[in-house]
Amino acid sequence: MKDSDPIVFVVDDDASVRDAVQRLIASVGLRVQTFGSTREFLSSKRPEAPACLVLDVRLPDSSGLELQDDLAQANVHIPIIFITGHADVPMTVRAMKAGAVEFLTKPFRGQELLDAIQQAIAKDRAAWNERAQMSELRGRYESLTPREKEVLKLVTSGLLNKQIGAELGTSELTIKTHRGHVMEKMGAESLADLVKMSERLNRSDAMSK
Amino acid sequence: MESNPGAHRLTSVVFRYGLAVILVAAALGVTSLLQNVVSTAGYLFFYIAVVVTTWFGGRWPGGLAVVLSALSVAYFFTPPIHSLTVDRQSLPVFIEFAASSVVVGWFSSWRRQAEAELRYARDELQLRVAERTAELTHSNVQLLAEIAERKRAEEAYYEAQAELARVTRLSAMGALAASISHEVNQPLAAVVTNADACMMWLSSDPPNLEEARAAVDCIAQQGTRASDVVRHIRAMFTKATPERTRLQVNDLIREVGILIEGAALRNQVQIETELAPDLPATTLGDRVQLQQVIVNLIVNGIEAMSDVADRPRRLVISSRMQSSDELLIAVRDSGVGIAAKDEKRIFDAFFTTKSQGMGMGLSISHSIIEAHGGRLWASRNSDYGATLQFTLPADREITA
Repeated sequence: MKDSDPIVFVVDDDASVRDAVQRLIASVGLRVQTFGSTREFLSSKRPEAPACLVLDVRLPDSSGLELQDDLAQANVHIPIIFITGHADVPMTVRAMKAGAVEFLTKPFRGQELLDAIQQAIAKDRAAWNERAQMSELRGRYESLTPREKEVLKLVTSGLLNKQIGAELGTSELTIKTHRGHVMEKMGAESLADLVKMSERLNRSDAMSK
Repeated sequence: MESNPGAHRLTSVVFRYGLAVILVAAALGVTSLLQNVVSTAGYLFFYIAVVVTTWFGGRWPGGLAVVLSALSVAYFFTPPIHSLTVDRQSLPVFIEFAASSVVVGWFSSWRRQAEAELRYARDELQLRVAERTAELTHSNVQLLAEIAERKRAEEAYYEAQAELARVTRLSAMGALAASISHEVNQPLAAVVTNADACMMWLSSDPPNLEEARAAVDCIAQQGTRASDVVRHIRAMFTKATPERTRLQVNDLIREVGILIEGAALRNQVQIETELAPDLPATTLGDRVQLQQVIVNLIVNGIEAMSDVADRPRRLVISSRMQSSDELLIAVRDSGVGIAAKDEKRIFDAFFTTKSQGMGMGLSISHSIIEAHGGRLWASRNSDYGATLQFTLPADREITA
């Protein structure tokens, strides 16, 4: 298996459940890595790949719900599937509100868990692709000169070359050259493309703030 | 209104001194008339005038009457007549009269004052008696209120105690249930997941027999583990008889009665006890567990009567010797009774006919009584309701 293949992390303090879940997931050809505690999981070096976390609620060191909070705090976005020996309503609500993919009560059917895992990995893969695209886009944006960034901003706000020239105090021809470079560096095929890219960048800026 | 007492006093003063003048005048008139009939009539009427004036008018009008009488006698009846002087011959008689009238007046005044004081003392006494009665009435009312308050507090206390016992039992059971479900669900989860994994490995192409075998192996292991958990819990219930003390069954029932009083009152249930007065034997057992059983049976009885409106809600707790080596405790209610179809199941765990019941009470009671070497059973009464009764082995050693 390759390093970029999807991987499932399992955290459960009960070795028998952990092994059973590992065996089940391995039977559909997914990579599995198991942990006996949240601390073990947090201190492990995890491969860079689409992943999901199968997490027991009741754990010896800190509860699965706490781990969910900690991961969110640390900006680690990994879809979580909770499994628990006995669930109460507040526990379930808290987990689902914090973005859990599924909440399964032991004993659960294998297919339920596998379906939830597929769904979680698909979700993470989408997020993964999104992140990869964003970082690519950001790299391109960072390759622009300060003047080109200014031109990009004004072009995407809908101004004509002449107006931009007046704004920046240069000729229309210079702006046209800058604009060509921007289109080339950003890999945009049309003005509409460029506008979309700029919007994505702005959105992710707003989100990370 | 302000001037009234003053005016009243004035008229009273006029009346009192006027009385002296009028009475002396009357005495003078009558004595003159008599003087015409008999030569020496004496001065009796003057004495009467002095006494009456002093009596009704007081000391000073009395004094005035004395002076007026003396003047009248001196003027009209002692020679020389029609002169205020008295001749040497009549002087002793006059002095005797004057002294007598002073003494009579003084005596009358003294009597009057004594009587007034007596009256005042009597009035005072009556007033004091009335005050004291009012005080006593007031404190009696207070006492009654305090008694009622105390009774209410006691009731609240017993209610709280019963509630506490119930909550403690429920929360202990809740915690126990959660712990049991976790302990059992863990191996069950492993079993189910391994079974599913085994199926997956068998249906893959080609089938991975090694993985499938490992999964089945785990299933067997985890099945054993689950049964171990169950056996452990059973052992905890049946073997856990930490306390075995000699107990008087009647004492147990009386103590429970105190706990249950509040609930009975609230549900308008009349609780009666028919305890064999001279139960010779004690039993060996766990006080708390046995009381829990009795409370359980009573609470069940009370709840069975909650819908009864057409007959008295009556619960009878009785104790007696069943045989030479067995004690019997019975709880009899006049409630809805036990349906024939439920008769066999009422001691099963999680069987309940109550909307909010857990179905654990009778099941646990049954286990406790069996652990004590007794039997617990239910029967339908000939008229209404049911009787739940249990036996306990009698401990003869102590009585021997």
